[in-house]
Amino acid sequence: MKPATRVRDALLAGARQPLLLVLLVLLLALSVSYGDFASTANFRNIAVQASPLTIAAVGATYVIITAGIDLSVGSMLFLAAAIESSHALAGVPAGLVFLTVTAAGVGMGLVNGIAVTATRVPALVVTLATLQVFRGAGGHITGQQNITLAANLRGIGTAAALGVPAPVWLAAGAAVGGGLLFSRTVFGRYLQAVGSHRDAAVHAGLPVRRVTAGAYALAGLLTALASLTQTGRLGAVQPSIGQGYELTVVTAVVLGGTSLFGGRGSITGTVLGALVLTTAQTGLVFSGASPYVFDIVRGAVLLVAVLAAAMRWRDLARAVGPTVLRPARSRSSRRKPAKKW
Amino acid sequence: MRRYPVARCVAVAAMATLALAACGPTSESGSGVGSGKGHGTIGVSFDLLNAVRTSEKSAIERAAASAGYKVVFDVADQDAQKQASQIQDLIQTRRVDALIVIAQDGKQIASSISLAKARHVPFVTIDRAVADEQDVSFQITGDPHADGELAADEFIAAARTKPLKVLELVGALTDQNAIGRRDGFGNTLKGHADLTVVSQVPTDWDPSQALDGTSNALQKNPGINAIFVPSDFLLPSVQSALSTAKRLAPVGDTKHVFLVTIDGDQNGCKAIRGKTLDADIATRVDQFGTEAVQAITTTLAAEVVVPKTVRSAGVTLDQANFATVKARVWGCGD
Repeated sequence: MKPATRVRDALLAGARQPLLLVLLVLLLALSVSYGDFASTANFRNIAVQASPLTIAAVGATYVIITAGIDLSVGSMLFLAAAIESSHALAGVPAGLVFLTVTAAGVGMGLVNGIAVTATRVPALVVTLATLQVFRGAGGHITGQQNITLAANLRGIGTAAALGVPAPVWLAAGAAVGGGLLFSRTVFGRYLQAVGSHRDAAVHAGLPVRRVTAGAYALAGLLTALASLTQTGRLGAVQPSIGQGYELTVVTAVVLGGTSLFGGRGSITGTVLGALVLTTAQTGLVFSGASPYVFDIVRGAVLLVAVLAAAMRWRDLARAVGPTVLRPARSRSSRRKPAKKW
Repeated sequence: MRRYPVARCVAVAAMATLALAACGPTSESGSGVGSGKGHGTIGVSFDLLNAVRTSEKSAIERAAASAGYKVVFDVADQDAQKQASQIQDLIQTRRVDALIVIAQDGKQIASSISLAKARHVPFVTIDRAVADEQDVSFQITGDPHADGELAADEFIAAARTKPLKVLELVGALTDQNAIGRRDGFGNTLKGHADLTVVSQVPTDWDPSQALDGTSNALQKNPGINAIFVPSDFLLPSVQSALSTAKRLAPVGDTKHVFLVTIDGDQNGCKAIRGKTLDADIATRVDQFGTEAVQAITTTLAAEVVVPKTVRSAGVTLDQANFATVKARVWGCGD
């Protein structure tokens, strides 16, 4: 494929994202309202702030596409940070620490994935349990104390290359890599198949359990990466890190068009979802809004995302028709009811 | 159920291992027993465990040990229902002689207070006020409003040398400590023309929100030259944002941003010692433990504690009095 064609396809794919328009309108409105909003420094600020959320949300997209959910994201983020700051890794070269933390992330994701696939207990319940387990384990490691991060571990959140901050490079890598994995690999197609109709995928002989566990493992890996980025920025590990983060991550994913019922979604949408949330947050500070308004806006965005997802589900149901999405009725039940005399 | 038995076993084993790791034999979770001489057992129920709570726990354990009590400790993980169950267990199953509680919810704790009263178990609340003050044996809390006022006094003093444009961070809007600190600070600043709060940013006690909020506010108002941080544990986030904006400079430097926090934990003490923080309003954590245990001894002797309610304002630790006051600040201990 020619480069020009690729660019055109990419632009067309972007144009198919209604959230792109929302983001552009939001940026335009804020830039017009507040003169100092439209500055390179501020856009850089937004990009950096959106990076950890983008990375974690790309991972969560894989899980949600399989019709699963991972409520342990915030606790995984904390446990990964706790491992990073633990005495056991003190003085260890940064590369080895990062490798250990990402491996731990994969391990945490696999615990979720294997528990979901092996027990058939709903992912909501499994990850609600691991939410407690991971946060407890993190508290055990840190002793619930605030721990200052070693200087050599902060570069991943504060350094820059070619003028672009490291978190933005990582988020871009996660988004591009995640997008390619999703759209150009067999694994990506299996993910959609499993999420669309799990039983059909099983009957077609797809490795449903391995694909599902893989999705959770990837989510764990990317959550650990998000944790490294965020703690690098913060410079410290605190017990409250990641509390309630799962709600923000799921909002970004659902806002980006991924169906909570599985089978449909896109990484581009998720990235846009994270950018819209972060831009709105920045806009609130610029507007000088009352602190109470922040919570209202956050809740409203989640409500809009869920309503939009529900409407899309109804549209899909109408488009596909009753034979696929409604339980099959017996031949006799399809007969017209007898007239009453 | 016949397929993948190995995977199921691995999943169950992994979950069990992690659960055990999380509930390991630490004093932070489950129950711990302090050294005592057998005069009785105090059940302690905390809402959560963080740096402040760990110090409060240590203060209780020290005071209990010297008075000859054993201590049984529970943490509710910020779950009011869980706390009610734990207190019920402490009273009915473990049959403690008295309770010291930091309530997750000042109103929902009422049923636990009633249960303790029915069983004649002294109920002492610390740190966070409860709605049923008349039914508790003794209550000692900080005074968040007074702490906010003390913080504001530092800003007013600093504004005598140059006008201040203040960024005010706010804790969780559902937390009475956060609201008290905000109101005390805001009310005291009123009428001071040389002090302007140019931005008020909610943090929900989340370090990430504090970091992003401070970065955004510095972007919007580059003239900000003072920041009110309502808790020490948000200080690293604020310093990180200042560092990124190339605004982090020591006290005395012309680029220094005036900073005041509340709590008096290790972060705050270290920052004052390192001359990156101007003042810290330290909570009287040791006083909570000592007075709570004294009140239990008094109540168990069938006497009435007077006064029944104590609100303890913090101690101001700043660059000028650091050497003399640090011994009274819990975060400055070794």
